[in-house]
Amino acid sequence: MFWRKTRAAIAGFHPLHQTLIWEHTLSATLPRAEWAALLASLSRHRGLVRRPKWRLPARTESLLVPLIRVLCEDVGGGVVGITADLRGHGVPGKESPHRSLPIVRPVRRAEEWWVRDPWLSVRSELRDGSVLTLAVTDLVRHRRIVKVNPRGKRKTKTKTKAVQHIRTSRSLAKGQMPARPGSPPPWWIRVKVRPGVKTVIRAAAKVPLPAERDQLGAIMTVATEPFRWTQRRRAA
Amino acid sequence: MIPCMVSTGFFVLGRCGRAPVTACAGCGRPICDRHVGPGGVCPECATAQGYGSAYDPFWTSGFRRDHYQSTSSTYQDPGWYGTFDDYDRGAFDPEDQGDFGDFGDGDERDFVDS
Repeated sequence: MFWRKTRAAIAGFHPLHQTLIWEHTLSATLPRAEWAALLASLSRHRGLVRRPKWRLPARTESLLVPLIRVLCEDVGGGVVGITADLRGHGVPGKESPHRSLPIVRPVRRAEEWWVRDPWLSVRSELRDGSVLTLAVTDLVRHRRIVKVNPRGKRKTKTKTKAVQHIRTSRSLAKGQMPARPGSPPPWWIRVKVRPGVKTVIRAAAKVPLPAERDQLGAIMTVATEPFRWTQRRRAA
Repeated sequence: MIPCMVSTGFFVLGRCGRAPVTACAGCGRPICDRHVGPGGVCPECATAQGYGSAYDPFWTSGFRRDHYQSTSSTYQDPGWYGTFDDYDRGAFDPEDQGDFGDFGDGDERDFVDS
């Protein structure tokens, strides 16, 4: 059997690591120590698995691993739940039905369809008693136009436009009072605060789909806003 | 006895508070066994030398500092980065990376025309 040693190495990885390799998905709610075990397993991947087909999916090392590290820093004795679908935009089930657009000659056919990819969902119980949730959805618009010139030559053009919706909320601990930060957020971040016994601070943003290396920065910037609404006090 | 003074958390900052085992070779603050890095330095001093992979246990210290600095600028909120103390920032402070002397007018005598 080919790749026998690699298969044996993968069989020794953390079960969630194996799911990432075979299915490109991750869904688990674990305490900090368990996530550390998964990260330890992921760190051995590059050294043991050389086959391109079995490499870690895109966004794993650039986004998922740093995000797990960050979330585990604040979790204390609680748990972190992460659901990540890293299969990409081209998977069946994420694409809407195609619809025709009105045309003017020489265009013969124009159609449009959308791909909605809610690829990341996070819920984390923080050590100050608050609960952080995070959801990231990619929305891609595809347009395909077929035109024919006077000599009968057909041309097909495809255009795509992608945006990323980042939504985060922080439900404060019972009785914890929010405090409006000194400066407003950037114009591209919307904030809503719902007062109550457990105040909920929501921040959302729609940004042009960033390059893979920049996605962590965009998500972390939006996730920062709910934390500016509480008094900054260090525990001794 | 002063407890371990290493900052913990990312958004919810705190102090470690465990019993120290040594003092950081870089900044001199007390650190516990959990936060002693290679060379006997604290996480901030270790990551100030550069951090690459998120698999490194001390990676968060460097990323946290960069994130607070960049978001403080994005939000135009100096108070956000101000929640860091001198230890958190000091290791990354360019002025602390070495004394390269004063290149004022008085030092021009050390240079010669070629």
